Amino acid sequence: MNEPKTAFDEQKIRDKFLEENQLFLSPDPAIMADHGFGPRSATEEAIFKKGMDPHLANEVRGRVLAALDESNTMIEQMGAAPGAKWGDMAAAIFTAQGDLSMIAPYGVFAFAGACHYPIKFIIKYWTNEPTVGVRDGDAFIHNDSRYGGIHNTDQSCIMPLFWKGRIIAWLSATIHEGENGSCEPGGMPAAAESKFDEGLKMSPFKFVENFKIRRDLLTFLQNSVRDPKLQSEDMKVKLHSVLRLRERVMRILEEFGEEALIGTLRKNLEDVDAEVRRRIRELPDGTTRVAVFPDSTLRENVLMKWSMAVTVKGEKMTLDMRGSSPEFLNRSINTNQASTKTLILSDYLQNIWPDLQPTSAVMAPVEILFDERSLLNGSFDVPQAMSLIPLFKAMTILTVPMAKFSYMLPHHYTAIAAPQYDQPATMIYGGLTQNNENVGNFCADINGNGQGGRNYCDGEHSLCPPFAAMCDIGEMEITEEELPMVRLGAFTLTKDRAGFGKFRGGSGYEQIVTSRRTGFWGFMTGCTGSVFTPTLGLFGGYGPPVYPLCKIRNVDIFEKLKTAPQNIKFDIIDLMNNRPVEGATYSTHDMGMTFELAKPGEVYMICQGAGGGYGDVLLRDPALVAKDLEEDLISPETARDIYKVVIDPATLVVDEAATQALRDAERRARIARGKPFDEFVKEWNTAEPPEHLPYFGSWDNPKVIYGMSGGQRVKMDSDKIVSMFMPNPKDMKIAELENELAQVRAQLAKLGV
Amino acid sequence: MKRVSVDIGGTFTDCFVAWGGKFLQSKALTTYQNLALGFNEALQNACDELGVSMHELLSQVDSVRYATTLGTNALIERKGPRLGLLTTMGFRSSVPLARARGYGAGLSHKEQVDVPNAHRPDPIIPIPMILEVRERIDFAGDIFLALDEDDLRGKIRQLVDKGAEALVVVLANSVVNPAHELRVREIFLEEYPGHMLGAIPMLLSHQIVGRKGEYVRAMSTIMDGFLHQVMYHGLGTLELNLRNSGYDKPMLVNHNSGGMAQLNSTDALQTVHSGPVSGIAACEHLAADSGLGNVVATDMGGTSFDIGLVAEGGVKYYDFNPVIERWMVSVPMVHLVSLGAGGGSICSYDPVFKTVAVGPSSAGSDPGPACYDHGGLEPTVTDADLMLGYLDPQNYAGGNIKLNPRRSKNAIEEKLCDELDMDVIEASKLIKRTVDASMANGIAKELRTRGYEPEEFTVLAYGGNGPLHACGIANALGVKKILAPPFAAVFSAVGAGSTMQMHIHELNTWTVLFDANKKSFFSDYSQFNDNVAELERRGREDLLRQGFASEDISYRLELDMRYGNQRVQTAVVTELHRLNSQHDVLQLIGQFDKRYGERFGEGSQATEAGVRINTVRVCSFVDRPGIPFQDLAASSKPLAAPAPASQRACHFVGLDKPVPTPVYDQTALLPGTTIDGPAVVVTRATTYLVEPGWRFQAAAMGAVWFTRIAA
Repeated sequence: MNEPKTAFDEQKIRDKFLEENQLFLSPDPAIMADHGFGPRSATEEAIFKKGMDPHLANEVRGRVLAALDESNTMIEQMGAAPGAKWGDMAAAIFTAQGDLSMIAPYGVFAFAGACHYPIKFIIKYWTNEPTVGVRDGDAFIHNDSRYGGIHNTDQSCIMPLFWKGRIIAWLSATIHEGENGSCEPGGMPAAAESKFDEGLKMSPFKFVENFKIRRDLLTFLQNSVRDPKLQSEDMKVKLHSVLRLRERVMRILEEFGEEALIGTLRKNLEDVDAEVRRRIRELPDGTTRVAVFPDSTLRENVLMKWSMAVTVKGEKMTLDMRGSSPEFLNRSINTNQASTKTLILSDYLQNIWPDLQPTSAVMAPVEILFDERSLLNGSFDVPQAMSLIPLFKAMTILTVPMAKFSYMLPHHYTAIAAPQYDQPATMIYGGLTQNNENVGNFCADINGNGQGGRNYCDGEHSLCPPFAAMCDIGEMEITEEELPMVRLGAFTLTKDRAGFGKFRGGSGYEQIVTSRRTGFWGFMTGCTGSVFTPTLGLFGGYGPPVYPLCKIRNVDIFEKLKTAPQNIKFDIIDLMNNRPVEGATYSTHDMGMTFELAKPGEVYMICQGAGGGYGDVLLRDPALVAKDLEEDLISPETARDIYKVVIDPATLVVDEAATQALRDAERRARIARGKPFDEFVKEWNTAEPPEHLPYFGSWDNPKVIYGMSGGQRVKMDSDKIVSMFMPNPKDMKIAELENELAQVRAQLAKLGV
Repeated sequence: MKRVSVDIGGTFTDCFVAWGGKFLQSKALTTYQNLALGFNEALQNACDELGVSMHELLSQVDSVRYATTLGTNALIERKGPRLGLLTTMGFRSSVPLARARGYGAGLSHKEQVDVPNAHRPDPIIPIPMILEVRERIDFAGDIFLALDEDDLRGKIRQLVDKGAEALVVVLANSVVNPAHELRVREIFLEEYPGHMLGAIPMLLSHQIVGRKGEYVRAMSTIMDGFLHQVMYHGLGTLELNLRNSGYDKPMLVNHNSGGMAQLNSTDALQTVHSGPVSGIAACEHLAADSGLGNVVATDMGGTSFDIGLVAEGGVKYYDFNPVIERWMVSVPMVHLVSLGAGGGSICSYDPVFKTVAVGPSSAGSDPGPACYDHGGLEPTVTDADLMLGYLDPQNYAGGNIKLNPRRSKNAIEEKLCDELDMDVIEASKLIKRTVDASMANGIAKELRTRGYEPEEFTVLAYGGNGPLHACGIANALGVKKILAPPFAAVFSAVGAGSTMQMHIHELNTWTVLFDANKKSFFSDYSQFNDNVAELERRGREDLLRQGFASEDISYRLELDMRYGNQRVQTAVVTELHRLNSQHDVLQLIGQFDKRYGERFGEGSQATEAGVRINTVRVCSFVDRPGIPFQDLAASSKPLAAPAPASQRACHFVGLDKPVPTPVYDQTALLPGTTIDGPAVVVTRATTYLVEPGWRFQAAAMGAVWFTRIAA
């Protein structure tokens, strides 16, 4: 063996040694950091050199899209998971290098976008691994978001497409399955304190050989979850949907030839990339900033900063998220950079450029900057089971800065809207059904987020989730047939709980739920926004209010409805303010509730949230205010105090003159309240976050990060962030009670008792 | 056979008359103010041809049948009474929220994914007209909150005071236990008896829909209430007109289920889309009469391309939750999918992929394609067809519409040529190639998601633009044979003449045939059999009421089955009308497994997760002969092509240069006439384009086969 001559040689030898002696193939940082698409392969280069006819590509694209549509329809129809039934799934096709080229028309973009990472992992690590290999008829399963993904409830089936002995594309089918054997039912355990509480953590592995599911692996997976039936059914569903897609794409290959298919898949990426760069060039150069604050780790109330500075320069856009909250070592709300980027892709496609074909290329011209070990770029070891908390925000955060960039442009690709409500406000459940089935999952209400007000009209009420269009909030009669839950408040739009504005946000609705005909049932909610407004308004519009979780416990409401129903209304405000169920315990909480067993007839209540308002409330057409009042969306107090509109309560006729006078007075009052900007800054700014505030993230300087660990405030340089360790809330409660007890004992001792 | 069948469409009233061995077709403009006027004009045309009076004709026919899209138009125009809705406490916003996804129901994919511009349609019932009733029943029918009658009386009064002209009642789980809905009506009648001046109707949801799903049931009931007046006014006028004109039998109305019934046994909702569904019924009848096997029906009109399936062996494809206008409802409607691809589809430049995009926007009939010269500036498929030489500017739509080629040329040049770097002809070819491929993809998806391959089907192409694009679609789809059916211009009316008297009754059920947890089989045979018997009884009574003898009534049992907790419900048509043993149960499971495997792929079955019946459906019908089709097989003794009426240069996809193309007239429809492409055949009703590599063969009754003769 020759002696190494240079440092470069030494490095190569070291790398080779390490490559040959890897203990564990954890997620590859190089893969996770790359959200764009790679250079052309030699085959692609040759095809493009010959010339790729755009019209032939269009024809092939149409055929592939029809195949994806067919595959997606199969998932939706065959799927057993509630998510599959409501549109929470996707079928997609990738280039041979693993870059997302096309997704089914009604799929969840993020599911397909996230598969890009595990596919690249499979290519890099399993293709040449003698104990694994990638052969025709193989398929891989994956759910661990650390290897790419949204969260571990989503399971994907990934299959290589072989043609004449080589891989020319990859196919995928993904479903939000829910239950995955985590420490709480439903697959989204807020209580997870380490990744080992998260249930199944499937790095990409082969579960199908020769087009058949391996029964030993299926049994292992069934053995690891609460709902073995669901696990088995949907593994079949995903496999057969992918097989159908494979069959169709093979037909396209026979008809059009491999060059047409490979060229089309590549062309989708390059054309979209060129278009996105053109659209970025249209925007004015500059920087604009936005910050949002998730307010709970789902175990305790905190304030976590998500900082974003968006800079446009020429055809490049940079999203700088440095200065955001540090990660939490023992809380489940962390996410990783691949997940964050995938959901930002979703934001671009749903809110900014919905006309674009979803491909990896949408994000290619966008550079994203993170701090290491931050909430948004969590390390491998932190739990990420409730990554939805920051990720829901990822799907709306761009709307505010992009509105500022594009407002003055002569052409808009869609409406300019205030952010949609961006939290998963749904009941998660688990237990034994009236049909004797063990289940754990969440309700379809997650799909009913209120839309933000728009530049020309109000937002729509409970429209869709931030991650996909055309999702379903379902039918209660169908749900109740399968689950022992009873929705007392099924769908009632909230009152006075929207983002007010010239164009108000769309409202959410109340969810009042209880259970019966079961001996074992429980609920959890994994949602923030109970103490700090969850959603931003735009151009002067209000954000929506905070939403609590309310409970009526230690009572069987069904008994009360039988014996004394007169005063019970299925209305959260009435139930909580008037407390008509005698003998019950009423309580209000934040919406971060870990799994809790509920006795039959105990009542849990939350709200689906509203979108932000757009524009100044004083500019709202009084007729629209009167309409909101008539539709019971607002109270007379809101009409008068917020919108400054005077309406006759009996006739609902607007008093134009009185309204004008009230609005003029308010404008004068605003001027009176105003002060010079410098003066305001001087009064408002503080050097550090207030001592009492459990604050995480930068305050002013993005290079200095604040946090609390072990109950103590910490201050760190942004390049030396350490993970935050949170005390167990139960220990805190015990300590508090012990303290109280000690005080009482001391008082008693003083009294000589 | 002597019979009159009519399809009252948005623009035309189509009439088809079977008179002994003669078949006549005629058209007139639809007269909204009084449908009888358009009908009389169309029928009079047929009578003139036959040389009989209308009275003589109507007094001798066995039936007069109507299919109509009247309901769809009434919905679009929101022409209906002010409705009030009473619903269960806690469900007040179910209808306004429309299951969230309702914002996109009935829209194109492009509109559905443009979430920031999403808009729900203007409601049929505004929010202030929706009030809650204090009551609640659980999924099994157990009343856990009794109906608060005092509260109810107040709510009814409020709605009446607000001007409700009809009331709709939708209470949770009423299909399992209708007690509260029935009691609501009793109280309503106590408060507002039928004899009271200004009494208004009340519709109960469980009497309209037998399935669970409170939103779709509500929308079905609301739509029924909304359309009731306009449909019955319109159809009542027709019935009166028939009475006065010598027809003394019951008037029959076609349903979107593929059957028909007397007017007094018809819900308004059942008539919506019955026109296009009748077209599919015509295909079914034609396929059975002519031994065509599996058939896919395609109707390419001005704004849309409708696809329906007729599979051999009695497999039925329904949409259980079809979208009507902008709302999802619950009614078993013959499956029909509509793509935004028609002659009027607008063609635009796609700046991302540097090619042409066709639809979904349409120029409709007003202003219509640029060549209509009615102010349309956007290029459309029809403009491209004109540029390619397929259409005769002086003889389009029977000469009723003069086309201006200069307008087409300008529109294509201005909107497409520069961007595509093509001349007008190249751009037009690209449009044709794109729209044909798009329609072929639509057909392929419809077939393949149900486990079929296009080559297993005969494609029937009708509608104004069907025969013009038939070869192009077939090329893209990879099929070798297409049939342009007889009487294609009034095909839905032909279908109306061939449907059976049929009533469908459904029952929501939770019947576990195989319980995977307990590893047990269904054994309560009497419960299942009683349910089927009850549904048969209801269907029988419907038909007995209409004068049929009990022995003439047949029943088809359809079971919507699924594995575990799947969403899909595969309809299984079974001869097992009663279950009597475990063997029967296993046979049923086997039948389901087989059908499911055919549809989703062998090995995809999940029997081990359990097998359940969700809905039991009985179709009760009386089989009566439909319009007799002759043998439509292409003649074994081909006739030579007649002398062309003219010749013009046409351009075809795949050929660089124009091809001198003979143009034939109506005489080419003489059965046996065989013409190899390229050729154009122009008749009063439509234009047949025979592309190079294809053969035109005229068959009996004006049917035309297109057969591929070259690879």
